[in-house]
Amino acid sequence: MYSIETRQLTKKFKEKVAVDEINLQIKKGELFALLGTNGAGKTTTIKMLSGLILPTSGDIEIENMDMKKDIFKIKEILNVSPQETAIAPNLTVKENLEFMAGVYQISNKEKKIDELIKQFKLEEILNKKAKTLSGGWQRRLSIAISLINNPKILFLDEPTLGLDVIARKELWKVINELKGKITIILTTHYMEEAESLSDRIGIMANGKLVDVGTSEDLIKKTKTNNFEDAFVSIATGGKL
Amino acid sequence: MRMFNFAKRNFKELIRDPLSLVFQIVLPIFLLFIFQQFNIPAENYKLENFTPGIILFGFSFVSLFTATLISKDRSSSLLIRLGTSPMKSSDYILGYIVSLIPIIIIQDILFFVVAWLLGLSFSINIIFTILISMIVSILFIALGILIGSLVSERGTGGIGSIVVQLVCFTSGMYFPKESVGGFFAKVCEILPFESCLNIIKGILNNNLDIILTGNIVIFSLYTIVVLIVSIIVFKKKMISDNK
Repeated sequence: MYSIETRQLTKKFKEKVAVDEINLQIKKGELFALLGTNGAGKTTTIKMLSGLILPTSGDIEIENMDMKKDIFKIKEILNVSPQETAIAPNLTVKENLEFMAGVYQISNKEKKIDELIKQFKLEEILNKKAKTLSGGWQRRLSIAISLINNPKILFLDEPTLGLDVIARKELWKVINELKGKITIILTTHYMEEAESLSDRIGIMANGKLVDVGTSEDLIKKTKTNNFEDAFVSIATGGKL
Repeated sequence: MRMFNFAKRNFKELIRDPLSLVFQIVLPIFLLFIFQQFNIPAENYKLENFTPGIILFGFSFVSLFTATLISKDRSSSLLIRLGTSPMKSSDYILGYIVSLIPIIIIQDILFFVVAWLLGLSFSINIIFTILISMIVSILFIALGILIGSLVSERGTGGIGSIVVQLVCFTSGMYFPKESVGGFFAKVCEILPFESCLNIIKGILNNNLDIILTGNIVIFSLYTIVVLIVSIIVFKKKMISDNK
């Protein structure tokens, strides 16, 4: 059984086809990285899978529920950490967690918040306003918030963009700890991030899902020496 | 309820912004105080007439800071995160409106306390005025939602200050429209701010004769239309921002 399944998923903005008939299956507990050049259609795909925008055509099934019919039920079991840190700037770290717990109507709110504080080691910044935190801490808080509803599916859109190497490695550790427990869909521009964290990688180009496999599979398939070269070869159709 | 949870967050965001407090509360109180020191011999500046003007002036900043909050939420991706949550459109709109009601009440109480200290006699009409002003404030909150949904964070300052200027010059809080007359007087009649002022003034002074049927019609029409348009635009922009 798949956690996410799409059939002929398409999104058009007027005449422009942003996502073109994607068929995708992601298993439960899998960490699936979605890669592509700028404008390849990754973010639009994530937005459709997370219920933020509706597809022009095609179907999305999330945990055996149809996105068109059960959108509000689906929204209860997924969460997103967007590219820009989406936090309330004048609220403290604790208040941000409480606010999002209220959004998802979490019954055992205090217990869940304490659990996330420990898991993400937020104790020392708990009473600081979110806007005063460093980029690394804001991103860490953003991911912590996205786990408030114990999601079955988590979308991480460029989670380490703009972070220094130490903050990035710390977040990798956090993401690695989540692996296997929930289904994670990750978009990133960092090849080593996708290679190191993901179980499988999907590569998008011009709105199409051009290849899917493990990093080893893709390197073998393209007869290249490393994953970056494999990606370039697939994304450009072998032109580079 | 999700709506109250969102309203609580919005209220905290607004009261923790020092600029918002200065403009929504401190500046109107300062103007109320300073104009009473000048002893200007004009009807408009008598406490019972100028306090309603100050209430309206405070509301114009409510529009400005509502717009700023919404445009900030749009630009920071917070609305993207919330867009993937089970929150419904009604939770957002009511959440923004409800969060501003305590600010309106705080404004009104402080303005009347200062007016009382300056010599306004206390009457039950003050309570009625606070209640009526809460209804009037819906127009200003809706204007804020509309501006915040349409323009960027930078633009809200400019557009919001137009609302502030329109309230100052067309409501009649500083001078009656008849003193300029002609086209300007027509503009004052068409815009809703003079009607808002007449309604608040009439209730405070227990002089319902100054509230014309036209005032009620213009205020109601503007409030209903702006509220509906702001809801439609907010919903539309929330989707298009996410494209």
